Amino acid sequence: MKLELRDVRYVYAPGTPFEVEALKGVSVVVEQGEVLAIVGGTGSGKSTLVQHMNLLLVPTSGEVLVDGVDATTLKKSELRRRVGLVFQFPESALFAPTVEEDVAFAPRQLGLDEEEVRERVLESLRALGAGDLAARSPFGLSGGEKRRAAIAGVLAMRPEVLVLDEPTAGLDPATREDLLNLILSLRESGVSVVLVSHDLDEVAEVADRVCALHEGRVSTVGTAAEVFYGDPALAPATVRVASLLRGSRPGMGNPVRSQETLDALRALQGT
Amino acid sequence: MTTRSLGQFYPVSSPVHALDPRAKLLATAVFVVGLFLIDSMVGLLFVAAALVALVAVSRIPAGTFLRLLRPVLFIVALTVLFQVFFSREGATLFEWGFLEVHSGGLRLGFFLALRILLLVSSAGLLTATTAPVALADGIEDLLSPLKKVRFPAHEVAMMMTIALRFIPTLGEEAEKIKGAQAARGADFSEGGPIRRARSFIPVLIPLTVGAFRRADELADAMESRGYRGGEGRTRYRELRFRVSDALALALTLFILLVGILL
Repeated sequence: MKLELRDVRYVYAPGTPFEVEALKGVSVVVEQGEVLAIVGGTGSGKSTLVQHMNLLLVPTSGEVLVDGVDATTLKKSELRRRVGLVFQFPESALFAPTVEEDVAFAPRQLGLDEEEVRERVLESLRALGAGDLAARSPFGLSGGEKRRAAIAGVLAMRPEVLVLDEPTAGLDPATREDLLNLILSLRESGVSVVLVSHDLDEVAEVADRVCALHEGRVSTVGTAAEVFYGDPALAPATVRVASLLRGSRPGMGNPVRSQETLDALRALQGT
Repeated sequence: MTTRSLGQFYPVSSPVHALDPRAKLLATAVFVVGLFLIDSMVGLLFVAAALVALVAVSRIPAGTFLRLLRPVLFIVALTVLFQVFFSREGATLFEWGFLEVHSGGLRLGFFLALRILLLVSSAGLLTATTAPVALADGIEDLLSPLKKVRFPAHEVAMMMTIALRFIPTLGEEAEKIKGAQAARGADFSEGGPIRRARSFIPVLIPLTVGAFRRADELADAMESRGYRGGEGRTRYRELRFRVSDALALALTLFILLVGILL
């Protein structure tokens, strides 16, 4: 599905001294089967933006379109199934006695029969490399295991768009690697992924397009190469290296992923 | 940041905000005791007028202040209805089956409603114009004579400060968990009261777990910064009881006395 936000404005606590305009007219499109990364400093409006994608927050003005249809006209439960949102530190919302029960929460809310629920629970736990955690208590897991269980809890709805708000924050490298691979395999199967992240290196590895937010507005949006080569100061390490070399060796192109950069460097050596 | 409710600090600068928290605490205590000594409607209305003036001076918008009172409206309504229908004093104004409305009941209902509203308003004004930390400092100071009889004044004040400090934090946390569960298809508004209460289990469990974790972390953080109780602990902001504070307190006493005598 195609998810589109059109000129979305959002004001927190309107009419009080705490009033803050978090989004000042943001337009962004999530195409079918792409990985869109959203980057930006703290307080730039990233988390507010992603909560509009399943209308947990309703825009003060502007609209959210699902395949061209105004999302407010869809049933809320339907919209939230199709757009799966994983909050930042999702493990803080684990609640059930076992991981299996917890992951089963969302599919049960969908009214699926127990067999289907079980199947989805195992499928999403396996997708996160957490199949062996099913019978454990979520409160006795390690940080990385909790994160896997929590993300599985959203994946079990089989969303068409998966929105991940800083999913790798505070994770160990192995879990991070697994998560990035999950994102790529979801894209493979036609699921769109929105990835909010502060880690430009991981954004470079998985993102098809990058949207940069600054103080509630979109400052740049485009392919990873366009955005990162537009402002190499804010780019991941491989891009900074490539940018330095490109001054004297324009032939190396605009590599973004570490493998591409490696290939480009090898090609330069060859010439 | 969610909706404002009873007991929340409203940060603007005003003469009321600037008063010493001890003066405001004492004045509120005087006010509350005074309210129960006033037995005439005129006296109560006089005090009510004084409170309205005070709210105006405190620069809290009237709408915001009235919203503070919303949680007690149910109790007020219940009190009024109770008095109106069950009191048999005065002339009969209205009769319908076993229901009788008497003038005395109407008067008493209104009187009690006003008293409750004033009671809550005075407490609301105190917390709306006093930062929680200042409030706790004030309470600690006022309770400190009790230290002589081994009353843990500092500890009580510290617990209050922490509790007050964490109300908004827990509120935010609850909002976040609610959002996360809503994203997983939880619905908090559908079904009868029992189903709705049940739908909050997925919020309450993580919230409780989180609160315990936070308490542990806070204790560690306090210890690693050298906190070891109130003994010899100094304050960053010293409270100072000025002439204006004494005047404010005297004015409150005066208003209440007039109210009682009226």
